[in-house]
Amino acid sequence: MNRESGPIAPPRGFRDILPTEARELGVIEQTLAETFAASGFTPLHPPLLEYGTVDPAKGRRIQFLDSDGSLVALRPDLTTSVARLVAGRYRDMTGVLRLSYLAPVFREEPALSGGSREVLQAGVELVGGGGSLADAEILALLVESLERCGLPVCESTVQVGDIRLLTGLFATLPDDARGEVIRELRQGDIAGGLRRAGAAGMPADKLRRATAALTGVAGGVDGAGVGEICRVIELARDRWPGSAKGWGAPNLALLPALPYYTGIVFEAIHPDAGVVASGGRYDLLIGAFGEPRPAIGFAIDVLQLHRALFAESWQPRSQRPLLLLRASVDERATMRCAASLRAGGLAVAMGDVAERAGRAVIRAEVIDERLVKLDDGRVAEAAALAREMGP
Amino acid sequence: MRPLRFALAQGLLLSDALAALRAIGVDVSGITPGGRRLVVAGGEIEFVLARPSDIATYVERGAADLGIVGKDVLLETGAKVIELAELGFGACRFVVAAPREAVERSLDEYRHLGTLEVATKYPNVAERHFRARDIAVEIVKVSGSAEVAPLVGLADWIVDLVATGSTLRANGLAVIEEIASSTARLVANPASYHLRRREMAPLVERLATWAAAR
Repeated sequence: MNRESGPIAPPRGFRDILPTEARELGVIEQTLAETFAASGFTPLHPPLLEYGTVDPAKGRRIQFLDSDGSLVALRPDLTTSVARLVAGRYRDMTGVLRLSYLAPVFREEPALSGGSREVLQAGVELVGGGGSLADAEILALLVESLERCGLPVCESTVQVGDIRLLTGLFATLPDDARGEVIRELRQGDIAGGLRRAGAAGMPADKLRRATAALTGVAGGVDGAGVGEICRVIELARDRWPGSAKGWGAPNLALLPALPYYTGIVFEAIHPDAGVVASGGRYDLLIGAFGEPRPAIGFAIDVLQLHRALFAESWQPRSQRPLLLLRASVDERATMRCAASLRAGGLAVAMGDVAERAGRAVIRAEVIDERLVKLDDGRVAEAAALAREMGP
Repeated sequence: MRPLRFALAQGLLLSDALAALRAIGVDVSGITPGGRRLVVAGGEIEFVLARPSDIATYVERGAADLGIVGKDVLLETGAKVIELAELGFGACRFVVAAPREAVERSLDEYRHLGTLEVATKYPNVAERHFRARDIAVEIVKVSGSAEVAPLVGLADWIVDLVATGSTLRANGLAVIEEIASSTARLVANPASYHLRRREMAPLVERLATWAAAR
């Protein structure tokens, strides 16, 4: 083996996506793009590199020094890039923006932890829209996107929380103590956060209410003020009028690690793939780059969605078969025969294809410009075959 | 959906963890401490036994939904899990320790050479601590018995986990500073916690009540 060129496997946390998977991902990506477009979202492409001035990923960036000495990072998050872009390029356009993206983001993961450093995200950002209707529209669009891709959405799939309601549980605490409690909750330390709240003098009844909201049975926390979340879920369900679909579970313990959310937050979770999508309202993030504007969005982790669909025995819609054409001695006739088959809408490869990525193939031999002989012995005219096998 | 999978640490924490689960009415009769069966199925909960430092990894990656693990492991691994309840047992402390006779001398040396060598099994905890205190150190990772390091000249100080401190005393070491205290925690995989809160909540509540009553 010649290894002079260095390692053959990609760097830690990165991997090759081979044609079979790429084809399946392509089906998912196309469905998502169509679904976003059907709700008026327009694709855009932020750059791969951003300056390292705003760091939502909290030290988890893959960063380096540019040749001019400035600190740059592979974007760890697209929402922050879109926020920067909106604050700059749409400074004077104060109306509503509906933007979508499909692109990878990069996050540092500790070595030897099995973590992926490249995450493919498909998402939307609704900028300038406030209120429950915008919240419900985005939540419903997330459910619609997942369902159109083929993911069954049941009651617990979509978990919905609210940062304001969560912070409100600790309203009696002084600002700095409340900040510390929220910081611990954000790190996942619910037990520590509640202990700190108790130590900071939170009244016993309030503490019991917060404990129930964070560690009690989800949904059974009406006393803890999840009414507003339920109202948004109900409104989002009206995207499917008359349907008895019961998706959406209020869950105040939902607190994403990304720090910029200010209102409703949500995650779509699959038992095998974990978190498949996450999003929420971030009314202050754009303000970090310019004038503040209300905004809400979500990002779907396309590879995790693929994994979830795989666990559900999903099959991508089948492609039309590929016609493998064996050349005749007359090379001009072969070229022309392939051309007329393709003109008829058939997928045609001359010769053989080793990597078929799960695609069915039909073999035929060129007889002349218009005629091929299939392997079962049947002789067919190009145009007729195209009609028979075409889309 | 598969039954809830609960990861338990073999070793010091196991008997306390089993006692706690038994006390709240969970059937743990299939688990024999020191036994060879590492996955114990049966009932609504499936148990997995693993090394303490691996429990956080199992739960973080969703190989287990719930786990009982010391805060010390969470501090060292930085695992992204949800800590649901403090269980009170397994108390221990991360400390900085140095030879009783030589604390002054090592501080002199620090002023002279500008750095201290610190041996530890917990490099992340140690590094975070000294960085927060603005003390320049070189961390030397060892796999066991850090308390020997100052005796044989491997390092000036150690960062170690102590329960009673008797091992430190037996090796002529004194605690210079306490970094953090630790007890056992009930932890959950975040996605799994949100998805299966209905099943987990009664366990969390009963364990928290049990711990508060002790």
